[in-house]
Amino acid sequence: MNGFTIVWDNRDVLLSGFANTIALSAIAAVVSLVLGALLAMALMARSKAARIGATVYVDAMRCVPFLLLAYLIYYGLPSFGIRMSNWTSGLIALIVYNVAYMAELLRAAWANLPKESIEAGHAFGFHGLKLVRRIILPPVFFAAVPMIGNQTIQIIKDSAFLTIIAVAELTQAAMAIQTTYFVPFASFVAAIALYWITCMAIETGVAFVGRVAKARQ
Amino acid sequence: MTWYDVYAIFQGAVFTVSISLASIVIGLPLGLGFALIRWSSVPVLDRFVVVYVSVIRASPAVTLALLIFFALPVVGISLGAVTAAVVTLTLSTAAFNTEIWRGALMSFPREQLESARAFGMTRGLRFRRIVFPQLVHSALPALVNEMTLQVKSSPAIAVLGLVDITRAASRVGARTYDPLPPFVVALVLYSLIVAVFVMTQRLIERRRAAEMEALR
Amino acid sequence: MTPPMDDAEAPVVLAAHGVSKSFGANTVLTDMELTVRKGETVCLLGPSGSGKSTFLRCLNWLEEPDAGFIVLKGQRIGIRPSGNIVMNDRELAAIRTRIGMVFQHFALWPHLTVLENVMEAPIHVQRRDKAEVRREAEALLQRVGIADKAGQYPARLSGGQKQRVGIARALAMKPDLLLFDEPTSALDPELVGEVLAVMKDLAREGMTMVVVTHEMAFARDVASRVVFLDQGRIVESGAPEEFFTRPKTDRARQFLLRYSAQ
Repeated sequence: MNGFTIVWDNRDVLLSGFANTIALSAIAAVVSLVLGALLAMALMARSKAARIGATVYVDAMRCVPFLLLAYLIYYGLPSFGIRMSNWTSGLIALIVYNVAYMAELLRAAWANLPKESIEAGHAFGFHGLKLVRRIILPPVFFAAVPMIGNQTIQIIKDSAFLTIIAVAELTQAAMAIQTTYFVPFASFVAAIALYWITCMAIETGVAFVGRVAKARQ
Repeated sequence: MTWYDVYAIFQGAVFTVSISLASIVIGLPLGLGFALIRWSSVPVLDRFVVVYVSVIRASPAVTLALLIFFALPVVGISLGAVTAAVVTLTLSTAAFNTEIWRGALMSFPREQLESARAFGMTRGLRFRRIVFPQLVHSALPALVNEMTLQVKSSPAIAVLGLVDITRAASRVGARTYDPLPPFVVALVLYSLIVAVFVMTQRLIERRRAAEMEALR
Repeated sequence: MTPPMDDAEAPVVLAAHGVSKSFGANTVLTDMELTVRKGETVCLLGPSGSGKSTFLRCLNWLEEPDAGFIVLKGQRIGIRPSGNIVMNDRELAAIRTRIGMVFQHFALWPHLTVLENVMEAPIHVQRRDKAEVRREAEALLQRVGIADKAGQYPARLSGGQKQRVGIARALAMKPDLLLFDEPTSALDPELVGEVLAVMKDLAREGMTMVVVTHEMAFARDVASRVVFLDQGRIVESGAPEEFFTRPKTDRARQFLLRYSAQ
């Protein structure tokens, strides 16, 4: 297979694209998980205004396709005088979009939490933020790990859309190799293989955390 | 932005809906077929399905579309952009549907199959009259959810030069140097399309809740 | 092993000869023999794990015996008349239409109404006339006292009502005999009576039945013959008066002691 030799010779291009995909996805996953936890608190808050505001945001993001949001941020924000590189725009789009999904899956795990452990927290004098931080969020995170893993895979897949706004990520790199040397089969197969390996790694990690969580019970 | 531009974006919406529907309509039975192969552990083929689901689940629709459109001609299969788009979205949704159908099959009560056998039903009849109706009932919420996700990943076909809502809007924006209004139009159209699915989902959930309530 | 004289003259409906079955290393049935004559109600008794349910399920080949054979009105079940070839799905299905079965957990089809549950197999398996099947199904539901629930879905019924539908569903096939797999053991105690009453009526009307049960009173009053199993073997078999008052073996005595204590 001649094509794969060409791709191998251009592995720098592919790997730097891959590095960008990993960097974008990793930052987006961590930041949207942290912000998602805050948003989940708003979703579960006692204040009705906070709940409604958070719900509207989550529902809005669930209606919008990711690419449209990326377009809006990349092409739309300059209308308001905010200019960012396509890399930064892409990252912000990933975060803004996935915060909503992370919040929603954390909320679901939170709602399924046994009532007794929260009540026990109350009984021992925990309240407010401290109750959430010490008693509620740790088991919520553990319970949500498989869903967080799934969402991280989704983030990686979403990041491929950024090729359309010319972010130099993995798919863009594969496209670059294909247009220069016309080796479409090898370059896209290589890209998909890298995506696949990454997802397998995440799934292995999720399974590992699952085992740890089980051992601690 | 003129009314003609709005019309152009609307045409993009029609394209998005038809291409998504096409992939949904083909992807549902295809996923069921794959799930049945896994469920009845057909030798060799079921390994193939496992790899297919695993790879597709990890592949971004954009990359998959590029592979199918640019790479298949290399092995002698040349698809038009529209066909490549439908194939991409179908392969992608079928992989997720496979897992949904399979989950429903795995949790299908054994006793139901047995009573059908005891009443003299042959394999085909058992599937048609007893398994399938219950399968649809239990898989429906997850399937509708997957349809929503499918519609939202459909803009990926823009990389093939096809004009769906998102691309139609960005073209109008590029021409008028004022990207916000067309994006807002696109947003509204998307929200309407997704709302149809979300409302279907809520309707199913409400009916299920009513069923549960009636059982008390 | 001697049935009463009048039954001896009745034709044999079902016979099992030398039936054995094991799951892996675990032997569940050894060399089982059973003859059921027309109009008989045979009760299979025994402690849980004695193999009585497995044996019942071998009778309509839901469980494939490892050895032995089962004959329904002179026709072998499961194995083709020509040679030692296991029947295919279609051949088995055709024979099963002649054996009705009532399940422990009802196994009603939840996506069909009560009436549809009863009509399903006669219409789609036996391909009988729909209007005629409907008339019969309604009459059957009347007979088991549940006609007012015809349009309901099974999930809305109590356990006792579900099981009566289960019986009507089995009767709708006009089977040569009925198999009951612990028909009352999934029921709340207060609902057991209504199901047993229906079964008692059937026995009196001359239905041929094989019943796996833990209801000793039912076996004593209704059975024409009881068969006592333990550890996958038939230990005792005979008239109920005989078995319940003068059991011949220690194992049967222990078993009866445990159940009469309850």
